[in-house]
Amino acid sequence: MSLADNLAAYLTRVRETPTRVENLARISGGASRETYRFDAVSGPERLGLILRRDPRRSLIDTDRRVEFLAIASFADKDVAAPRALWLEEEGAELERPFFIMSRVDGGEAAGPFTPDAYGCHARAIGERFFSIMGKIAREPVARLPLAQAAIAPAPEDCWRRELDHWTGVIDADETHPQPIVRAAIRRLGRDPPPPPARVSVVHGDLRSGNFLHDGVGHILAVLDWEMAHLGDPLEDLAWAMDPLWSHPGDPRVSGMVTPDEALDIWRAASGLEIDAKALAWWRLFASVKGQAIWTSAAKAWSDGGMTEPILAFSGWFTARAQDQILSRRLAELGPL
Amino acid sequence: MSPKLPELLVGLAVSLSSPAPPEAGGDYAAGRLGLVATLLLLASQEAERGAAARIWENAAMAELLGQPLPPLDLAWSALDARNAELRRALIALHISAEDQGDRELQTRILGLYEAMAHARRLELPG
Repeated sequence: MSLADNLAAYLTRVRETPTRVENLARISGGASRETYRFDAVSGPERLGLILRRDPRRSLIDTDRRVEFLAIASFADKDVAAPRALWLEEEGAELERPFFIMSRVDGGEAAGPFTPDAYGCHARAIGERFFSIMGKIAREPVARLPLAQAAIAPAPEDCWRRELDHWTGVIDADETHPQPIVRAAIRRLGRDPPPPPARVSVVHGDLRSGNFLHDGVGHILAVLDWEMAHLGDPLEDLAWAMDPLWSHPGDPRVSGMVTPDEALDIWRAASGLEIDAKALAWWRLFASVKGQAIWTSAAKAWSDGGMTEPILAFSGWFTARAQDQILSRRLAELGPL
Repeated sequence: MSPKLPELLVGLAVSLSSPAPPEAGGDYAAGRLGLVATLLLLASQEAERGAAARIWENAAMAELLGQPLPPLDLAWSALDARNAELRRALIALHISAEDQGDRELQTRILGLYEAMAHARRLELPG
C-alpha cells in the first residue's frame, strides 16, 4: 500500500466517513519530520491538510506530542498557529509516529539565507513576527495543552537545563573536536544569566524561514514547533537575533527590522522587560544551540546513509558559518 | 569538521542515485536537486582551499602548543586525524589558561579561533 492509501485508511477510520487522499506531495518543512501536503476528500468536502511524520533518521530528536500540543496551545491566540487535528504516537496505519494539522494555503516561506527576503514589506513582517513572539511569551502556561507534556523549570534553572541539553547533544554527536563551541559552553557555564520574571512557552525555532507569509506583509502561519518547551522567553528572542539568519552586511534582524526595533516590538507584545545581561547570555547560547543542531545534522546525515542533502548542508555550511559567528563573539568578549 | 569532503561527494552521488517515492517528486525533488547543486558548488570551494586551510590550521595550533611539526602527510584523512589531536590539545590548553587566569594566552587562543573559522569559511554562491 502506498502512503496515500495508508493515509486514506487512517482518515476513514478516525473520521468515521470514507475519505480519499488526493494531491499528496512531500514539501520542505524542517529536517526533523517528513512533511506532506494533501487534500482529504469526503463526498463534497475537501480539507487541506499537512502530515508531519517521523523520519527514519532526524536532524534532532524531538517529541511529536510536544509539537502537537504546542500548536494546539496557540489555536485562536492570534499567533498564526495552524490547527492541530490528530496525533498518533504509535504510528497507526502509517507505521511511524505522526500528526496531522490544518494547511494554510497561499503563503511562502523565505529561505533563511536569501538576501532581503521580504523586500519592501520587511518592516511589516518584522512588526508582526516580533509581536507574535511576544504574544507567545505573554501567554500564561499553566492551563495550556503543552503543560501536559512539557516540564516547567524553576526560573533560575532555565539556563542550566537548556545549556546541559545542547551540550549533551554535542557530546553525543560530535565526530571531530570543536574548540570554538566548547569555549562558548564554558563561558556560559561560568557566567549564568539572571532568571526570567516568569517561565513562558518557548517556540524553540522561531526565525526567518519558519513562517509562511503572503508576499505583501502578512504572516499566515508559524511553523516548526518541534523544539517548543517551557523556559526563559528571551531564548526565542535571542535565537531570532542570531547573525546566522541575517545576510552579511544587513544590520536588520533576519532582514526585517533593526535590533532595537525588534526589542521594542517584543517588549510591547510580551509585557516583559529585557535584562541586557540576560539577553547577551541567551544570544551567545543561541549560537551554541545552533552549533549543536548542526553537529547533530552531520551525524544524522552520516548515519542515515547520506541520502538527505539538507542534513549535509546544515552539518557543513551552516556549522562553518556558526563557527565564524561564535569565534567573533568570543573575541569581542575577550578573556575570562 | 564534519562531514568531510570525500564523504560529502559520496553522499551527493548517493542522493542523486536514490529513487524517490512518487509523493516526493515535483517541487520537493526540484528543491532537493537545487540543494545538491549548491553543495557541489561549496564542495568546489573546499576542494580549492580545504587542504591549505587544514595545513595552516595544524601548523598554527602546533606553534601555539609548542609542538614540533611532524613530516607532512597530505592525505585528507591524515590531515584531519592530526587536526583532531591538535584541537583536543588546544581545548586543554584553553581550559588551563582560563583556570590560571592567563589572559594573554586566552587572547591569543581566541584570535586563533577567529582565524581558524575564517580559513574554513564556505560562501554561498550568488
